Parts: sequence; structure tokens; C-alpha cells
Amino acid sequence: MKKKRLRLLRAVSAVFAVLILASEVCGIRAYAGQNVPYETYTYDYYKDIKYTPAAYLPDGTVSGETIGCGSFSGPQDLNTDEAGNVYIADTGNNRIVVTDPSFRLVTVLEGFDNNGTWDTFSGPSGVYMSSNGNLYVADSGKNRVVELDSGWELVRIVEDPKSDVLGDSYVFSPLKVAVDYADRIYVIAKNQFEGIMTFDEEGSFLGFTGTINVRITPWQIFWRRFSTKEQRARQQLYIPTEFTGIEVDGDGFVYATNVDPEGKQSARRLNPSGEDVIQKVNKLSGDLDWRAFGTYSGPSRIVDIAVREKGIYSILDSSRGRIFTYDHEGNLLYIFGGLGSQEGTFTTPVAIDTSGDRLLVLDSNRRLIDLFSATKYGELINQAVGLRYDGDETRAVECWREVLKLDSNFELAYVGIGKSYLAAGRNREAMSCFKIGHDKQYYSIAYKRYRNEILKENMDFILAALLAAAVLWVVWSKVLRDRVKEWIGNRMVKRG
Amino acid sequence: MVKEKLKYAFYTVVHPLDGFYEIRHRGRGSVPLAVLFVFLFGVCFSANRQYAGFVVNFVNPMSVNSLAEVLSVFLLFFLFCVSNWSITCLMNGEGRFKDIVTMTGYSMLPMILTYIPGIILSLFVAQDEEAFYYILLGLGIVWFVLLLLMGVMTVHNYTMGKTLFTMLLTFAAMLIIIFLAILLYSLTSQVVSFIVSVYNELMLRV
Repeated sequence: MKKKRLRLLRAVSAVFAVLILASEVCGIRAYAGQNVPYETYTYDYYKDIKYTPAAYLPDGTVSGETIGCGSFSGPQDLNTDEAGNVYIADTGNNRIVVTDPSFRLVTVLEGFDNNGTWDTFSGPSGVYMSSNGNLYVADSGKNRVVELDSGWELVRIVEDPKSDVLGDSYVFSPLKVAVDYADRIYVIAKNQFEGIMTFDEEGSFLGFTGTINVRITPWQIFWRRFSTKEQRARQQLYIPTEFTGIEVDGDGFVYATNVDPEGKQSARRLNPSGEDVIQKVNKLSGDLDWRAFGTYSGPSRIVDIAVREKGIYSILDSSRGRIFTYDHEGNLLYIFGGLGSQEGTFTTPVAIDTSGDRLLVLDSNRRLIDLFSATKYGELINQAVGLRYDGDETRAVECWREVLKLDSNFELAYVGIGKSYLAAGRNREAMSCFKIGHDKQYYSIAYKRYRNEILKENMDFILAALLAAAVLWVVWSKVLRDRVKEWIGNRMVKRG
Repeated sequence: MVKEKLKYAFYTVVHPLDGFYEIRHRGRGSVPLAVLFVFLFGVCFSANRQYAGFVVNFVNPMSVNSLAEVLSVFLLFFLFCVSNWSITCLMNGEGRFKDIVTMTGYSMLPMILTYIPGIILSLFVAQDEEAFYYILLGLGIVWFVLLLLMGVMTVHNYTMGKTLFTMLLTFAAMLIIIFLAILLYSLTSQVVSFIVSVYNELMLRV
């Protein structure tokens, strides 16, 4: 009896050991989810939510105290440079905090030397480190954009833009700022619905870019016809939506986010002439469906964008505290984050950026920067998408296979693998992969090749069958039919 | 007898004016056969959602409920017949309810005849050949609409203009019936919940 129990115990412990080892090897520990305060999910082809392993995990928080500059007060923006240094617009304290990649304090900028007199910031709500090493501050309270060099000395102040399109009474109140490689300055200003204001490297106003046209539906026109003047005056104005966040990628394209009350498109990629050239698969505005009333209702309110390498970008939703990541084709890769007060959740997320492999999210109300780092799952997706972006589909396939081991619902991975089958001429396998991945275009290509293959292989049979059918038909119609009829007729006559 | 009725249905599909006339005046139609056609169309409609080829199928297979789809086809059919009957009664239509049911059911026959080959064809098309599938289905639907118009015209002995006008009124009547049904449902459910709460009150308090 005792022996038996011992044996059982041994077997059970062996099984456990194997399980623990297996989980260690596959890295499942990180995906168990017991420490992740949010769900990670994505939308499948049918726009149903598919929960996935965590793509990013909370990796600590950083506050003013831990940096060593005293608590933040309502910070509104955060930006990083290529080296990973972090610039925080500490709006309520009228200062810019600069730290190195590991969040050690570099300096605190409270003002600058303005031609001999000490000038201070007033409610700076945007900050941007340009690729040429100059720091741009959207000094909202003083209606100007301040450009400082790497020694934090004043280079230029951009203020009071003059133009016919702006009018005389226009008050310039910049909220967010970004700069491209040619030192063109892009500014999102308060109550400026015409688009993003652009300035040349000397700081003179060039015009607007990325204007969002107002869409009025026939339904709205219909209702306006039937409303009185008083009613019309009280109706919501049909004005374009405001831009919320802005960033410039290495090629000089401007990525901007806007609030879309219809939840269709909240991210834009503007080419130098101001046209939106972003690629879309589906809607590009965070969540695909939402509740109409109550808590957590309404479309995602996208407030900022982080441009990442290989055409990947993440947008930040302040209404539900989620981060949506897309690839350069507009495929939704993973969604994570949520509202709350645990580490890794937000109350009022306002800005997102990357520093090295980590994602940084600034939470204005909690005065914190939340850090996120990729799990193996997230890393594999990033890697596979990156390889595909570079055109290296064969190496991407290895990554996709790894992704599928962790999440067999990931449709993009099937498409990736299907493409490699297609290239290898294994059309049948390619077809089934594209079918799971719901890529009708590539499925059609694979199917056509497969169909041709089948036809070619069996051509002799098909031709022989056709020939036989033709011969039979001729024999029947020329010779047999009349005889059979005659025969039946004779029998009928005999009977009748 | 059955064979003859079935043959006559196919005759009607290609000779609608003569066909529907004889259905109305010589009793050559069959109500059970018409109901069978409606059922078959419901089945074809649902099968198309479920089994159409990958390239042309945008329906989530998890959302396909054959029973509900067949029932809703029947419901729409019944709603149309009732509305059409109530409108044509007031507008000097000569058709009886029986004729309207037969006519509507027979009109659905072309759709059955195109949906089945359509589903089979859809299994063998690529993306740039999907037009064949859509043309086939579209053909069936257009044929159905034409038959329905001619059917209403012949059965009730209307002119074309009056037929179109009656059709408009029929759709309006359908909407009114749906509205009344929903109203009735919500009022009844309120009455029921009132009675239930009174009952609960009595049982728990007294």
C-alpha cells in the first residue's frame, strides 16, 4: 500500500517537473497572466475579439520623485530621441525634465536666456527633440514655440504667425510640436481645425497640412432641412476634428492622430505635400466596436502616436487606456492596456513614445511614466513584421511559426507562412494557410495555380473523356436513337 | 397530378402572364407546392451563407443559424402575402389570398434554380472570376422581382402602373404590421410584468 502511494507520488512529481521544465523552455511563465492587469487581444477577420498572450508586460513606473526632480504636475507630453533620452513636458510645474535612457536626471529646464533676460516657460504642453539635436518646446501659456540648442541656449522663438488665412485676431496657442529632417516645424495649435500648422526652418508660417475634410452625411443634410434656425444654432457644428498627437518618422513623414467621433480613422501619415498616405486594412481608430452608452462607451479617443521601427506604430486611447499597434499595412497586431490604478494601467494617458525596446506612456493624472517591455510573443511579432517589411519573407516565416506556437489564432502569421508555401510551389498548403488567414487575394492566386496544376496533370484523361462522350453522342444520335425508337414503337404496336 | 402541377410551375416561370392567369382562373396552381418552394428557397439561402466558396463568402460561419434563417424567410413571405392581400382587397384586386400565396411562392422558383448552381460554382472560382457567381445570383433575383411584378399584375388584373403603386403600398403595410407587432409585444410584456409584480407583492407581503 505504502509502496503504491510512493510510486504515485513519484509519478505525479515527475509529471510536474516535466511541466515546469516545459513551461520554462517555452517561456510560458511570462504569459500566465497572473501579474498582468489588462487583457491583450486582437480582432480577427470577422471583427470578433480574440484574446492572445500578453504582448507587452508592465516593466515598472517612473515618477518625478524617482527621477529626482520632485513630483510632476499634470505633465502633458513626452518625447524621446534616438539615444533613448527622455524629455517630459511637466506642464503644471512650467518646466521640461530631461533624463537619460535609464531615467537618471540630466537637467531640468525652467527657462532660458532670452537675449540677456531670463525667460521662463508657462504651461509647456508639448516637447520634441529633433534629429539635429535641437529641443522644441510648445510653450502654450506664452503662445510660442521655443527652440533650444543642445546646450539649452535659445536658437529661435516661433510666435505670432502672420497670414491672411489666420486673420488678425488669431491667438497662437501651440499644444504639440514636431520637426522633420529639414527642420520644418509642425505644430498642433489649440482651436485650430484647419490642420497642422507648418513653419519653415526660420520660423515663418507656411500653411496648413493634413487638413481633415468635414464629412456631412446625406442623413445630416436631410435633418438640417427640417430644422428651424434656432434649432440649427443649437446643433453641433460640423467642424473637422482636432489633431491630438504628432510625430515625424525618419523619412520625413508626419504621423498624426486625431479624435474621430465615428471611430473610422484616427491615425494619419502625411507625405511632404500634406496628403494622407497611411495604409488601411480595416478601420484605423482603435477598437472596432464599442458600447453606445454607459461606462467605457464610445469610440476610442486616440491622443498620441509612437512611431516605431520597420513601419510599426502604436496609438494610445485615452478613453479606455489601451494601446493599439499596427504594422505598415494597417494590420492590427496587438492591443493591450487598460484603465485602473495598478502598475501598467492608467487613469489619464496623454502621451506615448519608445525608448529602446520599451514603450513609455505618460499618465498625466497619476504623474507617472508607465514602462512596458515586450514579451517573447510581442517580440516575435515585431520581428516577423520587421522582416516582412524588409522583404525577407523566408526568415519571417520562422518567426511566424514561433508566433503560432504561442497563439494559433494569429491570422497574419498564417498569411506569412502561406506566402512561403506559395513561393515554394506548394499550392495546396498555401491555399489552406490563406484560408485560415482570410486572405482572399493570395488564396485566389494559390487556387488558380493549383487548379492549373490539376488540369495539366489530368489533361489526357479529360480530353479522352470528352472524346469518348463526343463519339458516344454521335453514335447515339446517328445510329441508335432511331432504332431504339423503332423498337419501342413496334412493341407498343404489338401490345396495342 | 403532382407531376403535372410541378411541370406547370416551371411553365409559369418562363410564361408568367399566361401561367399566372391560369393559376388565378383555372386553378392550376398549388398552395402546398408554393410553400415547398418558399421552404426550399430558405434552405438555399441559408446554404449559400454556410457553404458558398471562401472567395465569395464573407459570413462568419459561427453566425449562421439555418433554422432562424428559414423561419425568417417564411415570416417575410407571410408578411408580404398578408400585406399584399390587405392592400389589394381595398384596391379592387381580383386575387384571392390563395392566389397571392401561390404566385409569390412560384416566383421564388428561379432563385432556387440559380442559388444551387451558384453555390457549386462559388467553390471553383478565384477572386477575379467571382463576377460569374454574382451574375448568376443576380439573375435569379431579377427574375424573381419580374415574376413577382407580373404575378401581382396578372392575378389582380392590374395595369403596370397600378402594380408598382400597390407594391409600394404593400411595403408600407409590411412596415406598419411590423410596427404594430412590436408595439403589441412591448405592451403585452409590460402588462405581464405588471401582473407578475402584483402577484409577487401579494405572495410576499400578504
